[in-house]
This record gives sequence, structure tokens and C-alpha cells, in this order.
Amino acid sequence: MTGKTGSLSGRLVHWARMKSPWITVFNSGACNACDIEIIACLMPRFDVERFGILAKGSPRHADILIVTGRVTRKQASRLRRVWEQMPEPKYVIAAGACGAGGGVFEGLYHVLEGPGHIIPVDIYLAGCPPRPDEIINAVVACLGLMEQDAAHGGREWRRKKTLDGLPGSPALPQEAGT
Amino acid sequence: MTLEDVTKVLGRFGAAETVRADRIRVTIEPNRVRDAIAAAQEQLACERLLAISTVDNTETLELIYHLIGPHRTIISLATVLPRESPEIRTVSDILPPAGIYERQIHDLFGITFTGHPGLTRLMLNEDWPEGEYPLRKDWKQVPGRFYGGIREDGG
Repeated sequence: MTGKTGSLSGRLVHWARMKSPWITVFNSGACNACDIEIIACLMPRFDVERFGILAKGSPRHADILIVTGRVTRKQASRLRRVWEQMPEPKYVIAAGACGAGGGVFEGLYHVLEGPGHIIPVDIYLAGCPPRPDEIINAVVACLGLMEQDAAHGGREWRRKKTLDGLPGSPALPQEAGT
Repeated sequence: MTLEDVTKVLGRFGAAETVRADRIRVTIEPNRVRDAIAAAQEQLACERLLAISTVDNTETLELIYHLIGPHRTIISLATVLPRESPEIRTVSDILPPAGIYERQIHDLFGITFTGHPGLTRLMLNEDWPEGEYPLRKDWKQVPGRFYGGIREDGG
């Protein structure tokens, strides 16, 4: 993890990441409304590219993963694999009422308990669907987390404080290189 | 198409009734469904399959084949199957689009279609436990059982 106090190249990478976060979208069984709102972010009315936020097709290029939908049983292993392909530091936003809190699919036979049980989620974004400005706000909040994590030299400081001890909170999977 | 036309052709299989405008329902014995579909195809120009729907009546399972043709009247051929080991002959050979509906119904309701060329999983995940049919009224998730998804040991 590189921050403001690292080497020159580290500081350069951190600056570039904060100026231009690349996002990728994963639909884990949503109704597509959240995905359409995310596409609306990219369209001229909101145009997130003017902030440097780029939507990438491959998780290998992305810093932030936006997961929409309650995770279906078929999509769970795919979501885990997509998350594993992302380079560190990686951040996850669970978008929409389904991804963040269950929505109408809570407790049905084909869904799991949500993205937070498959991968560590950093930001929960409510709304059915969330408006494009709320999605942009979530990405900006994610950048704030990145800044804080860089200052703390990792994300452990906030995992220990916020997630441990809560019922159903996922254990942080073993991260390579940390 | 009028009720008389349908009764003339399908009356020997069961009583026809007008459910609502442009929808005529015929209730048939399970072992005569294939003959009735063949008769509707040949004599009533019902060459298209709209859907196969299944109803869980809590005591029996009801299978309804909805057929339609250029006359735009929907002919619903209904048949009642027992809840324990429901089994019926497939119609996918005389009505090819029925094949995928039958796979779906086999998945979600547990009706076996004998003679179907590939009655494999379609809707449910591959690691779904055998013998559990989630759209049946009495189905409940067994606490603690693994229904597919992701195992905590990373599998």
C-alpha cells in the first residue's frame, strides 16, 4: 500500500489513483435498474469521465468494483473470482437496495445473504435504484476511504473497529502481498 | 374460433369451456395429452406453443399446455397429476419448443417427463440438492443444508 509518505513512484501512483479511479460493474443477479443508472452516470448528463472516473470492462484494470444485486447462488463463485482478479488496493461498493440490504429478494431460494458475505464490501449504497448522483457520491466516498487507508497504511484499522464482532460479518480473506 | 369448433375436435378428450374471451380450456386425462395436442395441431391449426404452466393445488399438480395459432384463440389443455411421483409422457418430439419448458418444470416442480431427450438442470444451480423443488407450496429451506453458492472453505 502506497501513500503520501512513500517513495516518489508510490506517491505518483497514489496521486493518479485518487485523480482517476477506474470502476467496473458486476451484476450479481440484479434487475438491471442499478446497471442502467450506472450507465446513466457515463452518459452526457452526468458524464463522470470529466471527474476522471472511467468505467472499465475488465476487473483487472479496475480499482473499484460496483456490485449490484443480491448474489444468486450461480453468481457467487463468479463474483469471488472477479474480485480476486482485481489488483490491490481494491474497493467494493454494494449498490442498490438488493446489494445493500436485501431488497425484495431477501430470503428467496435462489439468493445468498448478499455481496458482503462473498467479498469484503467497503461502501453500501442504498436506493432502488440509486440515482446517478448518489452513485458518484459513493465513488467519491470510496476515494475518501482510499485516502484514509493510505494514511493508515492499509485497511486493517477500519476492519477491526467496524466489522469484527458484528453478526454475519465476513472474515477478511487472506490478501496476497500484505 | 368458437367453442363448438373446439368441442368438435377435442370433445372426445374432455369437456371444453370458455375461460374468457379467446381462451378455451379443455381438461384431459394425463395419458391422452399427446393425442389431444396432435389433434389440435392437425385439425385446429394450433401449431404454436405459448407456454406450459404448472399450478400447485397443494393436493395435486396441474399442468396446462397453452397452444395458439393464426386464429388467435388460446387453447389451454389442462391435466392433473398426482403430487407423489408426478410423471407424464413428454411432448417435446411433436412440439419441439416444449422441451425447454419441460426442463424448467422438472427443475422447479419435480414433474418427470418420460422420453425427454435431456432432462437436465436448467434454472437451478448445479449444486442444488436433489429432490428439492422450490416452487412447490410446501417447500421450505432446511436450516443448515447447503443449497449451492459458495462454501466458506473457499470451494
